[in-house]
Amino acid sequence: MTPAGSLLAAHDLRKTYGSTPALDGASFSVHPGEVVAVMGPSGSGKSTLLHCLAGIITPDSGTITYDGRELSAMSDADRSALRRSDFGFVFQFGQLVPELTCVENVALPLRLNGTRRKDAERTALAWMERLEVEDIGGKRPGEVSGGQGQRVAVARALAASPKVIFADEPTGALDSLNGERVMQLLTEAARSANVAVVLVTHEARVAAYSDRDVTVRDGRARDLEHAV
Amino acid sequence: MTLLDEKRPPAPAPPARPSRIAPWLRDLALGIRFAAAGGREGWTRTLLTAVGVGLGVTLLFLAASVPHALDARSAREDARSETKISENPDAQGKKSDTSVLRISADTEYHDRTITGYLMRAEGSHPVLPPGIDAVPAAGEMVVSPALRDLLNDPDNALLKERYPYKVTGTIADEGLRSPGELWFYAGSDTLTTASGGHRVTGYGDPGPTPPLAPLLVVLVIMVCVVLLAPVAIFIATAVRFGGERRDRRLAALRLVGTDIRSTRRIAAGEALFGSLLGLLIGLVLFLVGRRFVGYIEIWDVSAFPDDLAPDLRLCLLIAVAVPLTAVLVTLSAMRSVVIEPLGVVRNSRARKRRLWWRLALPLAGLGVLALNGQAGEYEVVNPYPITIGAVLVLVGLALLLPWLVEACVNRLRGGPVPWQLATRRLQLSSGTASRAVSGVTVAVAGAVAVQMLFASMNADFNKATGQDPTRAQFYAVSEQVGGNAAVDTIERFRATKGVTQVIGMVEAYASKPGKYSEDDIQPTTSFNVGDCATLREVARIDSCEDGDAFVVHPRNDKDMAGWMDKTARKGKEVEFESGRGRKLRWTLPADAKTVVSRKDPVGEDRWGIMVTPGVIDASTLPGASTVSQIRIDESVPDAAEYVRNTAARIDPGMRLVTLTSVARDRQYASVQTGLQVGATLTLLLIAASMLVSQLEQIRERKRLLSVLVAFGTRRATLAWSVLWQTALPVVIGLAVAVAGGLSLGAALCWMVDKEVADWLVFLPLAGAGGALILLVTLLSLPPLWRMMRPDGLRSE
Repeated sequence: MTPAGSLLAAHDLRKTYGSTPALDGASFSVHPGEVVAVMGPSGSGKSTLLHCLAGIITPDSGTITYDGRELSAMSDADRSALRRSDFGFVFQFGQLVPELTCVENVALPLRLNGTRRKDAERTALAWMERLEVEDIGGKRPGEVSGGQGQRVAVARALAASPKVIFADEPTGALDSLNGERVMQLLTEAARSANVAVVLVTHEARVAAYSDRDVTVRDGRARDLEHAV
Repeated sequence: MTLLDEKRPPAPAPPARPSRIAPWLRDLALGIRFAAAGGREGWTRTLLTAVGVGLGVTLLFLAASVPHALDARSAREDARSETKISENPDAQGKKSDTSVLRISADTEYHDRTITGYLMRAEGSHPVLPPGIDAVPAAGEMVVSPALRDLLNDPDNALLKERYPYKVTGTIADEGLRSPGELWFYAGSDTLTTASGGHRVTGYGDPGPTPPLAPLLVVLVIMVCVVLLAPVAIFIATAVRFGGERRDRRLAALRLVGTDIRSTRRIAAGEALFGSLLGLLIGLVLFLVGRRFVGYIEIWDVSAFPDDLAPDLRLCLLIAVAVPLTAVLVTLSAMRSVVIEPLGVVRNSRARKRRLWWRLALPLAGLGVLALNGQAGEYEVVNPYPITIGAVLVLVGLALLLPWLVEACVNRLRGGPVPWQLATRRLQLSSGTASRAVSGVTVAVAGAVAVQMLFASMNADFNKATGQDPTRAQFYAVSEQVGGNAAVDTIERFRATKGVTQVIGMVEAYASKPGKYSEDDIQPTTSFNVGDCATLREVARIDSCEDGDAFVVHPRNDKDMAGWMDKTARKGKEVEFESGRGRKLRWTLPADAKTVVSRKDPVGEDRWGIMVTPGVIDASTLPGASTVSQIRIDESVPDAAEYVRNTAARIDPGMRLVTLTSVARDRQYASVQTGLQVGATLTLLLIAASMLVSQLEQIRERKRLLSVLVAFGTRRATLAWSVLWQTALPVVIGLAVAVAGGLSLGAALCWMVDKEVADWLVFLPLAGAGGALILLVTLLSLPPLWRMMRPDGLRSE
């Protein structure tokens, strides 16, 4: 069932919230270093698919395989550990811890994995430099612009050397110029580090940075290359 | 007609100078409208504020009722007191159609005091104490509702056994001090003045209630300040509940052109509505709670619903002060935030907190106390400087706290993730935490100060009795000595379950016979009849057998020994006389041995003539009473109750005193009880306040918590962060409270001219503060777990 060589694959996922179906037999896969855009209109189930793939929520039925392991068979603690070690996240807004400085925010996933503070902050600064936000390391999220905040979030997602980054509308709150720059930096950094990106968006302009599009409609994913 | 001739149109009236009040009223009204009709979110915030303020207002109404409650209790106590009591039969009121004989029959049951009287009407129209319709007939009793319940409880068979009376009625409220009071009146047909009855000719003590001792005045003032200051702080905290959400809503108003001042006034209007609703809730809670107050008893304190009538002036003060506080606190709080259009709310540039004026207040308080000077034991205390000084110190500590918390947390660096999350959170905004903790600080500082004062006054109010409860636990005195009563009393106590030893003697007074002028003092000494074992407990006797007599000299008091030897002349007569003129002469045996006394279990030195039963028939002694000292085996369950039951069977009017090594002053005890009751309520209120703040913060961070969950943050990490976030300000607050409390306590001790007896009084209170941290953290965890769900990531 799992497409050959895929790092993360889902098959026939179903999920309902109350009586509302969010996923209705969705399938999906992503290869290492591949950038896949998940597109679709509002309420189509894009974010639910992303949350299922990331092990944040469990589907009602269907299978999700990551690196040969069945996600739905893992305990909550194991899935949390997997998210800490192998996954990174970028959301649309409200993701940075407001009381931590930007560099502390970037270092947070490393510290949660047990890296010493100084080492974690050194790595964090290197990623911030790459994302062109090293000058705001000592500032708090409330003191920086939206574009800078998103770049900090991207740096955070990459800092722990994940294998997959899940980005849910990462440019949704940005103007087009800032959005383009964030996407450029995100995809360049991911490709150079061989990190897969699952990018949820409803903007074709953003999806253009991906290697492949998957469209979700009424809870079904049309994965043109890997749907089974 | 030219154009110039035309009549010029009237110039428009100059615009009226805008009123300063109108914008205020308009904005306040708008704020009230937002609070009242702001949808679910608006209502949640308003309700949070209203419930918080309501709880505080309930306590304020309760406090405002205390003066009336105390007056009412005191009035009822006065009304049931005898108008005239005398133990001298010659001075007693004359027997009449309305007179009543009565004798106290107090007892204890499982550490609760039961007060009562045996009564016997001497005529057909006896005077009655309030709360009863008639003097109970012999074999009958009327009881308070609490005592009735106690007697009806099958678990209290031992108590029921003590009262072999038929309960024929219940004492009405006007005859009781409080609903929980255990009180009774029992009828007797054998009570006489000879057996200890006092003649009562009326009820109601018109005499003024003795004023509280100056030291107690200081204590009462301190207790009030300590208990009410945190309530005021709690109310001020409650009006800021849900502030962050409100600020977001106000940002929308800025977008449509509302200026900063208007925004603040609108916020004040919201707070005003919340506080007015809180006043209403507080009033309703108070009125409803008042109906059930009779069922509540905390540390033996209870009150009738009617007693809780708040003073009207204090009610008006509450009604004005609470909304005013709400408005002022909101306006002050809004100064530290900048609400911008586009929904952006940012903390304004943090104004550095200044130390000098925060430090000035507690120092000024200590200064006021110092200037007031020391109060002597019998001096009239001026309560105002003490109140002002104590309030300045305590409020100053509350103001000092935000500066100190900020100064401390700003220096904190590094540490594990939970610690970092907590310290960074406090660095970003320590105000909320400080406000919540300031209540703890004031309560603990005040309580430390009061406890120090208590400890220093301990010697004054807790007097060592000299009694030795290890040798005997009870001391019984009965004036019924007729026939074999003395021997019978001792034997019956000895036969009581759990009794290991009885020291029983018949006690009378012997005088040197002769005629004495009015200026002469007739030599007199005590005369005791007891067996050898008993006499050895009160005198150093080597050999003794029945038929022996002793002259017992006091230890180290030659003058007293000389005085008693004037009566105790070996081979010479002594005379016994009852108060009613019966006389008896008896000769002290010539072979009586002279010995010295030893302290008896009651802590007294007894001396005089002591004889064994073979020397004299004790039942023939005029004016004698039976004195028993009883030792029990404390491992026998209810041994004390068996002794009390035996005493009641022998003589219902027998005085049975429980021996203790320390006797506590009653007023002192009630002030201490008040502090305990109040401190418990205050700490619970503060815990509620901290919990609401914590829950509000968790709710505000729902999305962030979900994001943290998304990238794998452990539950324990966030739980520890909540614990640190609560613990850090509380620990700093407690440190301030302990330092401030010890300083204030030392100042108060100095004022009342006492040495600080115990510097460690803060330990239990610090422990209570620690328990508070754990309680708030534990109660915060379930909502924290609930918020740590992925639902927060969903935006559709």
